[in-house]
Amino acid sequence: MEYYVYHDFMLHTKSITYILMGLFVLGFWGLWAFMTSRDEEIHKFPEHDKE
Amino acid sequence: MSTENKSLITPANIITVIILAMGLVITFLRFTKGLGTVTNLDQNNPWGIWIGFDLLCGVALAAGGYTTSTACYIFGLKKYHSAVRPAILTAFLGYALVVFALHYDVGRPYRLVYPIFVQPGTTSFLYEVGLCVFLYVTVLAIEFSPAMFEWLGMKNLRDKITKLTIALTVMGVVLSTLHQSSLGALYIAVPSKIHPLWYSPYLAILFFVSSIPAGLSMVIFEGTLAHKPWHHMMDQTHKDEHDGVILGFARGASISLAAYFCVKLVAVAYDNNWHYLATGWGAWWLLEVLGFVALPSLLYAIGSREKNIPLIKWAAAMTVVGIILNRLNVSVVAFNWQLPASQRYFPSFMEIMLSIFVVTVGVTVYRFIVSRMPIFFEHPDYKDAH
Repeated sequence: MEYYVYHDFMLHTKSITYILMGLFVLGFWGLWAFMTSRDEEIHKFPEHDKE
Repeated sequence: MSTENKSLITPANIITVIILAMGLVITFLRFTKGLGTVTNLDQNNPWGIWIGFDLLCGVALAAGGYTTSTACYIFGLKKYHSAVRPAILTAFLGYALVVFALHYDVGRPYRLVYPIFVQPGTTSFLYEVGLCVFLYVTVLAIEFSPAMFEWLGMKNLRDKITKLTIALTVMGVVLSTLHQSSLGALYIAVPSKIHPLWYSPYLAILFFVSSIPAGLSMVIFEGTLAHKPWHHMMDQTHKDEHDGVILGFARGASISLAAYFCVKLVAVAYDNNWHYLATGWGAWWLLEVLGFVALPSLLYAIGSREKNIPLIKWAAAMTVVGIILNRLNVSVVAFNWQLPASQRYFPSFMEIMLSIFVVTVGVTVYRFIVSRMPIFFEHPDYKDAH
């Protein structure tokens, strides 16, 4: 890809970086959901469960 | 605790003595005949594996000290308390050996204090690294000292030092953040010498972020190695908490490795270096990043989810290898990548032997300490003192 001015280069690389950041957020959510999916549920207020 | 007397003549001890003897000969040659006699260093490659391996890897893998003590004392995760002393010991020995190994590169050990007290170059990253390592070794020595005082029966001193635990932990985090990142920042000065896939303006962030999984993995890895030979030295609390420490640290290592992977990709995107991935250097970079960053992150996640301890231990070993590979890539392999092969650096036999000597000194001192001091067990006089 040709870049005629520095702005072109920055626009291109920053755009890709922003797309990557969005994918990373989804990736982290997926990783955390995968890792904790078999955890036992933490009951902070067990008295509410009885009601 | 076992008190049986074992013979000192074992295969491990014989190998240790041979390596130590060879190391002492190389030490004599280095300090009497100079760097040129024992190393392949030259004007193009002034820093070799003594910096790339002994220093950069040593500092990164010693990060278990600040990560573990932060988890326990700052975040209040007391379930990891049994891992703190082994981690602090590993960190202390790691940093002490970094300073020890640095003497071989710098020479004139009697001038070690010059950069700090005589001629401080306050605008230099190297000064910042030196100052932080000097302060952090001191902090680690104080953090480790209660174990020594318990062993020596110096109760008063031990009680006074333990009151400083929180302050020392905070100092440890601050100093580690500063010098872990500054070691990466050192290489920002040579953009034309490092291959673009490894060079990045984000090197400081990359070095700091990668030190977190390096430290966590080293605690798991070292615990795995120590578990069998020193099983008889471990008290019931240590044994009971062992699996919990591994599962908890696996989760932290998985997330921090994933964060490191993301920053690595952003570093490539920032300079638009994607086209290098299709080259031989790109294949090497992909092996490092996919094989020793993304894969262990995934294995940690699976191991943590399935409560699969052996899988987590494999992931820890892979992460340790990955961190060593990364530091060597930045400082040696991808350094001066444009030079013809004849001018590239490859360490001499004596350089490699000296690095093995430094590691062996560390292992020997570690064996001496854990066989005597309360590292894997709580001293009977201080049970429930935490």
